[in-house]
Amino acid sequence: MDDLFAPSDVSWTPVSPKLATLRRLNAAIMAGLAAIVALLALGLSLGWLYGVLAVVVIALLFGWAWILIGRNQRSWRYAEREDELLVSHGIMFRELVVVPYGRMQFVDVKAGPLERAYGMATVELHTATPSTDAKIPGLHPDEAGRLRDRLSALGQAQAWGL
Amino acid sequence: MTEQAVETVGQRLHPLTPFVKGWGYFVVAAVALVNNEGLRSNLTFAGIGLGAVLVGGILLGALSWWYTKWQLTGDAIRVDSGFLFRRTRIIRFDRIQAIDVAQPFVARLFGMAELRMDVAGGGKSDGKLSYFTYAEAQELRTTLLVRAKGEQAAEQQEHEQQAEAEAPPLLTVPTARLLGATLLSSTVIGSAGALIWLIVATTVLNFHVGLFAGLPLLLGVVQPIWKQVVGNHGFTLSDTSHGLRTKRGLFDVQRQTIPAGRVQGLLITEPLIWRLIGWSRVELDIAGVAGQKEDGDDEHEGAQLLPVGERTEVAYVLSRVLPGFNLANIQMHVAPERAKWLRPIGWRYLTYGVDDQVMVTTRGWVSRRTSIVLHHKTQSVRMEQGPLQRRLGLADVHVDTPMGPTDAVALHRDQVEAAALVQAQAERAREARRTVSAPVAVQTQPNAPSPDGSSSSAASPADDSSDR
Repeated sequence: MDDLFAPSDVSWTPVSPKLATLRRLNAAIMAGLAAIVALLALGLSLGWLYGVLAVVVIALLFGWAWILIGRNQRSWRYAEREDELLVSHGIMFRELVVVPYGRMQFVDVKAGPLERAYGMATVELHTATPSTDAKIPGLHPDEAGRLRDRLSALGQAQAWGL
Repeated sequence: MTEQAVETVGQRLHPLTPFVKGWGYFVVAAVALVNNEGLRSNLTFAGIGLGAVLVGGILLGALSWWYTKWQLTGDAIRVDSGFLFRRTRIIRFDRIQAIDVAQPFVARLFGMAELRMDVAGGGKSDGKLSYFTYAEAQELRTTLLVRAKGEQAAEQQEHEQQAEAEAPPLLTVPTARLLGATLLSSTVIGSAGALIWLIVATTVLNFHVGLFAGLPLLLGVVQPIWKQVVGNHGFTLSDTSHGLRTKRGLFDVQRQTIPAGRVQGLLITEPLIWRLIGWSRVELDIAGVAGQKEDGDDEHEGAQLLPVGERTEVAYVLSRVLPGFNLANIQMHVAPERAKWLRPIGWRYLTYGVDDQVMVTTRGWVSRRTSIVLHHKTQSVRMEQGPLQRRLGLADVHVDTPMGPTDAVALHRDQVEAAALVQAQAERAREARRTVSAPVAVQTQPNAPSPDGSSSSAASPADDSSDR
């Protein structure tokens, strides 16, 4: 069933497993902050038992997020077909995007401070529609650069007026 | 400063310009004076005040008019204006995207017109030159077109102008139908119903709901009527060499050309009550119009092709935009019955259909929306599936077009069918791009980086956009 969102006539490239590490780190920071706030707020207002309970709930949620992030990371993949870029991702909410190279308006390569620290970058393809959602996170900077050059070369070669 | 003043040659605008431009200020000044308690008690003083404002206004307007001059130079139009702060604006001919002659209400009373030059990246008022007599404006427009686009294009435009003047309209929407359609729209009925309930509740039942709630409701009744009946008054569709042309409006006549090659998609809307009568509305996505300022408020609404029309008219209009297309001939596929778990009533109306040039999707049981997208205008194809849909084995397929009213999505299809549709749709878009591009294909660059020596089509990026 899974191949409905990843047609097998093209070779799919997975994204870096470090994407999961990065997202888990992000989640850990958020969960840690939330836990401290909850512990102090509930602990001081209602009693420390509630504070500790809240921390346990947050820890459980974090554990769940840990698993989801792993699954989600494994679901991200992309493929370069002759005329189109395909991006497929998601487990709970699955999505497959097919964008013809010729429809490309511009390409973004983004990397935040954490992403840079982990040696990763995000490539995003923009068309004339904001609803086109062709974003590939968790790429090695070299791969991101290669993809960007290739996409812009192909986009120019096959460019299409509106 | 002084030498500039000396060197400014060129022509002045129409002498009535200050009055046409400034009439609003006079009205405001008069109203302000009349409404002022202190002034009303002293009529002579009010009269003097009003007179002073009038004279001052006319004087300022006249000064501004006196110092505004325009001239055509070798490659640009130059406008000098301002008497305290001089300003010179030079608009190069090759930067002018389009030139329109517009007649706002007051100007029309005096048989005057303003020239609006669309400059890429410019704001709304950047390329305005007002006012001329109507004939003068037309003449100047022709001259500018010749300079900007060459003799041929200008002649074409000229023909278009003549054709527009001569050609009988393809169809006209009667005002009575506009009014009827607006009265039967759900906003108006809903607001009117609520308003009546509010009045009954306050007067008869002595509920003190507060009549302030009536204001937005009243607005809900009046505003759509105003917008439809005044804005679309005398809606006419006519055929020109450049494409279809619409003309509408009671006070501000708005004209819009719909070049055939730039239509991205269509949307047919049939609200519940309209459907019983057989009325529907047709809107268009046009490249470049969504973000353009045709006249202020309609910015992201695309273009109207038919504000309200009967079924035969809708079919006719569609066949004008998409030659050889007939909605009735398209085999529509209904969503599988298990979609009723997500759309208990509406699932029956979730359909899609495909032919060799478009994909059609419908949805909505209260207000039916039929979206038509052209294969060779497809921006991207997406398949989406949420957790509930996964349980039911359903998926959505979106076919994206640039900004506009069209929103083509085949909701809640069987997931295997959806996956096949995504592939087929991508394939069709690819084929359509190739076949349409074939006669105008320009080899821009060898497709070097393709892994398997692809034979992908190369087309000029300016393909469709070059004809504006």
